[in-house]
Amino acid sequence: MIKFWKRRVKLGVLTENIELEDDIKAIQKEIKDKVKKKFAGSLAIRMVDSGSCNACEAECNALSNPYYDLERLGIYFVASPRHADVMLLSGIMTFNMTPHVLDAYEQIPKPKWVITLGDCPLMKAPFDKTFAIKAPAHQHLNITHHIAGCPPSPKEIMQGLLEFLKKI
Amino acid sequence: MRFIARYAKDKGRVFEIITVYDTKIEQEQVDKEKPIIQTLSHQHPASIWFERKMQDDFGIVVEDAFDKRLLVHQEQFPKNIHPMRKDFDVKELSYSEFQPYNYEVINGDGVFQVSVGPIHAGIIEPGHFHFSQSGEKMLHLEVRHFYKYRAIEKMLEGKTLHEAKPIIERISGNESIAYQICWRDILLQSSQQELPQSLQKHHSFLLELERIIHHLTDLGFIPNDAGFGSALAFGSKLAEDARRKMKEITGHRFGFGAVDFENRFIDTASMIEWLDSMQERIDYFEDWIIDIPSLWDRFDTTGILSLRKAIKFDTVGVVAKASGLAIDRRANPFYLKYGFELMSEPNGDVGARFKVRIAEVKNSLKMMHNLLEEETTSFAIEGVEDGEYMSFTESSIGELFMAIDINNGVIERFFVRDASFMNWQALHLMMRNDIIADFPLINKSCDLSYAGNDL
Repeated sequence: MIKFWKRRVKLGVLTENIELEDDIKAIQKEIKDKVKKKFAGSLAIRMVDSGSCNACEAECNALSNPYYDLERLGIYFVASPRHADVMLLSGIMTFNMTPHVLDAYEQIPKPKWVITLGDCPLMKAPFDKTFAIKAPAHQHLNITHHIAGCPPSPKEIMQGLLEFLKKI
Repeated sequence: MRFIARYAKDKGRVFEIITVYDTKIEQEQVDKEKPIIQTLSHQHPASIWFERKMQDDFGIVVEDAFDKRLLVHQEQFPKNIHPMRKDFDVKELSYSEFQPYNYEVINGDGVFQVSVGPIHAGIIEPGHFHFSQSGEKMLHLEVRHFYKYRAIEKMLEGKTLHEAKPIIERISGNESIAYQICWRDILLQSSQQELPQSLQKHHSFLLELERIIHHLTDLGFIPNDAGFGSALAFGSKLAEDARRKMKEITGHRFGFGAVDFENRFIDTASMIEWLDSMQERIDYFEDWIIDIPSLWDRFDTTGILSLRKAIKFDTVGVVAKASGLAIDRRANPFYLKYGFELMSEPNGDVGARFKVRIAEVKNSLKMMHNLLEEETTSFAIEGVEDGEYMSFTESSIGELFMAIDINNGVIERFFVRDASFMNWQALHLMMRNDIIADFPLINKSCDLSYAGNDL
């Protein structure tokens, strides 16, 4: 274990040494302030996959790696819709999944918002409409904001969340 | 004889049933008016999902099957429709009356049921797990999927191979390169062309890069599911570094669109430097994590899949290799020349699957060194001949099988079997001696795809 701590001390804090552009720092500060003002310090997100290829989920998981570390901004992915302010919806709204998505939405306490993640929910990804797809998502839900991309990068997701906070 | 896949084709007045083994392919025709076949599930239990899928897709009756429940068509799916038949062209379905699904359960005094999913607590794909519990002990688990069913097979019919590419590469995001390589092989077979060595090396390089991204993510998440968070910080950092490399080389973080027929310039000097630093960090990671006794207390003897069961259920990929069943589609002269070593572990537990992943990352890094290619090449595909084609690739999960029939230049039947489709059917075997709190750990140690399974 001593080896680990030695390396850990030498490595320092990665999140601050990140060689991303300066604007991400500005965004991070802005997000922090917005979250504090509008959601009493923490914005709780329930991620629901309605039939994606798993790339959007992988990018959301990447948000908690040491480079992005989303949680320090007060934005959390929560385990239950009942803890959430926002439903982050990825995937193509399949026939089999749509009723469960709507159930999850029902379970979110008001006030609540829906953000769509990636091109799939709006049918802008290369997939064609088939009998097994119920998209686009706005036929079923009132969507406040859309984060475009196939998949959007972690940075784009952070930017998208900021735009959402500006909007409401 | 290893069972690989079983699927049907609509051939007008008959259905053709194709059964693929590692050493042979069997064809059988049944009358559409009386589509009755016999099950293979007595010899190969993993054929049951293929047969239940055929029953939903085509209305084929598997006469002596022990399980005839609907698989893909869930509770509210309209009854008695068979979308993979050629005469089905409905674009919109409405929900029908809710018909409960009969789960496989164990009943008895004090035995209770636990339903989990399709929406899970973490950021993961939707699927359902149904447990029969006696206290904390799992007596039985039924895995139920197909929530993500997008009807990819039907969607691709009528498209050319090139039109189908953007969809094929998005079937399962974590295995995009592997799907693209399967597509590439079919394209090459149909145009009867040989791929230049330099392009083959480049594509294999990308496949190994995809593999290390996927494995590194798991090397973080598996210990995290045993409550060891610092491994996740370490693993996810390495995975992000590798993903950024993928973006640098292909212009996309998941390599969508990466497998094409043009080799662009790669700065080999900086790549070698990066590979060396990855090698050093993974060596460090291994040295560190092998030495955490409380972690290995959770890993060792948890979620055991015996070699006998691994063979019986025709498992593939990391799951098979960790149970001592050493099969890998890369065991061929091309890969062996570039330093491929077949990894396997005898124990079949979570720890074994973890060790196989570490060993594969190290081997992939070594191969990537050898696969680096400086030559820039451009290659044109000329003409696509009609025919029935099959290809195999070893994705980060395991053997990927794709079969495409081309007629009049367009896809007549598209079939793909993800490694996950086999391994999901063996997941319940790993639960016998464990408590329900071990389930997330066992599930993550296999890290199977839901999207690739459901299609």
